Amino acid sequence: MDPRGPRFAAAVTSVVLAVVLVTGWWPLLAAQTVVFAIGAFVGLRPAPYSVLYRLLVAPRLGPPTEREDAAPLRFAQAVGFVFALAGTVGYAAGLTTLGVVATAFALFAALLNAVFNFCLGCEMYLLIKRFTPRAEQAS
Amino acid sequence: MTGLWVLVATVVAALAAGAVLYARNGRIRPARPGDTGTAGGQGPALPEPVAAALAPGTVTLVQISTTFCAPCRHTRAVLGPLAARTEGLDHVDLDVTHQPEVAHALGVLRTPTTIAFSEHGRELLRVSGVPKPAELLGALEPHLVPRAERGSHSEGG
Repeated sequence: MDPRGPRFAAAVTSVVLAVVLVTGWWPLLAAQTVVFAIGAFVGLRPAPYSVLYRLLVAPRLGPPTEREDAAPLRFAQAVGFVFALAGTVGYAAGLTTLGVVATAFALFAALLNAVFNFCLGCEMYLLIKRFTPRAEQAS
Repeated sequence: MTGLWVLVATVVAALAAGAVLYARNGRIRPARPGDTGTAGGQGPALPEPVAAALAPGTVTLVQISTTFCAPCRHTRAVLGPLAARTEGLDHVDLDVTHQPEVAHALGVLRTPTTIAFSEHGRELLRVSGVPKPAELLGALEPHLVPRAERGSHSEGG
């Protein structure tokens, strides 16, 4: 993976989530949820923002100086998916507070990734794991 | 209108958090009482995979990683060569994705975290984020046993 791809995707995601927050237009958040879902459950290559990156941005940049593993990124997309889904349900069901809060959290993580290249979802894996039932650990 | 304020607040919070994380990356924290293996064995017992990694006359850098962690790879790339060229220093990368109880026992909440253990399993220091090799080596210096001294009371180099 070219590590600049996910960063580009995080920047696009940040803009989309910012627009959702300002307008409260939930179909856009639903679309972002689908984008997260593709990245998390199908793969990063067919993820819409990755495709956009390869078509529009990558040809204008040189070859990447480093490569990145896909597993952390897919996990982060899954975390994003959970928040975006909660946000969509919140807005659509009239629970605007839930919609706003969930979208704000997703935006927070996306901004950290876009601006500081810091993957919140990846680093918090252990924290998330600690609060999930022990049954899952038996695998 | 509320959405706009939430947006502004979120952007400010993200920038502040990012700046803090950036500043703290690679910072070295000396061991505290209550950490694993400190205070004459009063701390909690070492998890088995950590105990197995310790070796006589050696300071062991135990890196706690998960599969979902990109900086863990960078940390491995820093610590591996550092241990290889430093006398009396070992590096072990523990992937705790499927054994989170190890991270729990060590009090590790984010990855990568690197803990330096003495040969007896006493925690010397810990680093969260990608370590800076020169700083880390400086902090470890007092704990590293010089070759000559080691040779005089053990297997002889």
